[in-house]
Amino acid sequence: MGVTDAPWMLGVRAPDRSRAILVVTVDGELAVAVRDAVPRGMAVVRDARSNDAGEIAAACLPWPWMVIGSAVPVTPALALVLGHRPVLVSWLGAAPDGLPAHAQRFDRPAALLASIVTACAANVGGMRLAPGSGVELGDGTLLRSAALESLVAAYPRGFALPARTFRAASSALARHATGWVAQRDRDAGITLVSDAVGPRQ
Amino acid sequence: MRANPEVLILEDDAETLGELQSHFKRRRFHPLGARSASRALSLLENNRYSSRPVLAIIDWDLGKAPDTSASSGDVLSRLARELRECPVIVYSQNIDAFNVRSQIQRSHPRALLHDKRDGDASLLERIDRMLDRSVGDLRIHDGTVVVHVPTLQQHHHREAIRLVVHHPDIVTFHSDTATKAVRRFGEWLLRRESTVRLVSHGNRKYRLAVTATEGAAPDVEA
Repeated sequence: MGVTDAPWMLGVRAPDRSRAILVVTVDGELAVAVRDAVPRGMAVVRDARSNDAGEIAAACLPWPWMVIGSAVPVTPALALVLGHRPVLVSWLGAAPDGLPAHAQRFDRPAALLASIVTACAANVGGMRLAPGSGVELGDGTLLRSAALESLVAAYPRGFALPARTFRAASSALARHATGWVAQRDRDAGITLVSDAVGPRQ
Repeated sequence: MRANPEVLILEDDAETLGELQSHFKRRRFHPLGARSASRALSLLENNRYSSRPVLAIIDWDLGKAPDTSASSGDVLSRLARELRECPVIVYSQNIDAFNVRSQIQRSHPRALLHDKRDGDASLLERIDRMLDRSVGDLRIHDGTVVVHVPTLQQHHHREAIRLVVHHPDIVTFHSDTATKAVRRFGEWLLRRESTVRLVSHGNRKYRLAVTATEGAAPDVEA
């Protein structure tokens, strides 16, 4: 068979700046299903095991857009990424320790896969995920901001992270007069809010 | 000067390899054929600085290979690390087995999968669909030129072919020469008022986008 004798050389560990969905499981079956569900060109699916998830997450530049897991613990290296970066997190089955508050949990694979398709097709005031990376505005302008990609895909939910995490995204939104701002919501998460709504009290 | 684009073919069966090579020669590609993974790795190494294949066809099961010192997974991992912009088709008798698919995708997360049980004709049809593809008002002809269909103007650079074959995926280019060629292709599209525009993602990454409206939107770094 074609399995390599040099697991440290696996292509899945190669650094890449494309939008990445990291799937951490025991056997890779869920990663295969995720790959079939993701529209072509939207994201690269990286099939990880617990023992290499931290390294593969570090190779997703600047960070994985989404992390999906099932029946595995969250290693300290992976928990560090999930706790400090706006990463969409979906978990199938019982949630292990170390998941951030915004993680979504699913009992059925079909519901999880549907949520991925929905995230890929997110449209917030004409802002959509561009193929591969970045956010495309209605006029075709491409904004290259990983944090903005996360905000668009998570909308209307947000991330309980410091506001500075979204500084570049906020600048891009303002510079291009999108009519949206990144702002803390009632649940203490940073989310996208329409300018027309005005600042929340 | 027009250089025929290379295609890497790793197939352990001599007869099938011969058929695949003949097919690509007829289509004016330059096939780099190998019956073993170690030979394929040598071909990649030897062509590292002179060319980069526009397509790789990899047989996952190499039971008949004359040399088993390396595996198809090694070749896929090398392609994923060093030739990420090269589309890869992997075929296997066991492509339905999730563990095989998982092993392939861990070796090369972007590899396209094909069922070997569908026969060689099915594989060739799929390859032809990839290489003859149309994007907006562009079409690849003979694997060596991009034709703007409304004006029948031709663009010959292999990096332009690479972008069309890859659509809608992002392609990373690895030299100033290639990047300049890509930008010239973008200007060529604009001059012809093509429905296809070049989108820059920074760091030598580009993709093609099809627009319904005329004119190109600006590429903005944020």
